[in-house]
Amino acid sequence: MALDPKFVGRAYGPFTYEIGREKLREFSLILGGSVPSAGTFGEPPAHVSPLLYSQEAAQAGPYGDVIAFPSFAVVFAIRPFSAAIADPELGVDRVRLVHGEQELEFLGVMRPGDVLTTTGQISELYRKAGMDFLVVTTETRNAKGEPVVRGVWTAVIRPA
Amino acid sequence: MARTFQVGDTFTHVRQCDRLRPVYYAGASGDYNPIHIDPEVGKLAGFNGVILQGLCTLGWAVEAVAVFVGDPGLVRRVKVRFSRPVLPEDTVTFQGRVTAVADGRLTTEVTATNQRGEPVLRGAVVETSLG
Repeated sequence: MALDPKFVGRAYGPFTYEIGREKLREFSLILGGSVPSAGTFGEPPAHVSPLLYSQEAAQAGPYGDVIAFPSFAVVFAIRPFSAAIADPELGVDRVRLVHGEQELEFLGVMRPGDVLTTTGQISELYRKAGMDFLVVTTETRNAKGEPVVRGVWTAVIRPA
Repeated sequence: MARTFQVGDTFTHVRQCDRLRPVYYAGASGDYNPIHIDPEVGKLAGFNGVILQGLCTLGWAVEAVAVFVGDPGLVRRVKVRFSRPVLPEDTVTFQGRVTAVADGRLTTEVTATNQRGEPVLRGAVVETSLG
């Protein structure tokens, strides 16, 4: 059943997230391929930039503190997309859902302690080749109100 | 840091999806969709077992470019289409090419293929600031 286009414009959020130092390191190392065990995120693989995990390297570097790996943004900015998918009125069949496309724009680096607020809305609902497409557009701002991340999240719901 | 980039420059980045990577990435990212951690759910969806989070593959494409430019903080934009899931034990090869250097921006196109030569991403574009 096609998703009802009347839901275009439906908004989700605001959702607020405070970036924790260890969470940043964890994400960077795990994405980079480290093997975690109890009490440690594992050894940093050689290709992972020390700017992402080493306090010493980060303080000597261009940002003065460790920064987030760019796609860390998905940890919090996904929230309106998740909310749309779970919205009972919209009625997405999650069993048939796949993540089809993703766009992220990074307007600045993210650091520990940043308090970020994400809002989002359904920007498109359409049917193509027998599949339903749900597009959610998000914007994340810092505590000063400056945009930090913009996202375009596309789910594809395959036919039954 | 006075490195210069030119249109046509290429780079390669190879990542292995070890058996438990979808579980580790679930913990790090919060994406606990059961299709990534429960093999039975992966089978119900038509796969042999679990599949890797697409956003992890996206992260690896960003990483390929971050390693090429030498600073992950320079990445400004990524856009991908997910064409095929990455499975545990897969090896994904990312091959990038600089397509534009203008106005303080570097634009790269990145392909991502598994060990069978099948694309796992399509139309991937990553842009960075030139610092």
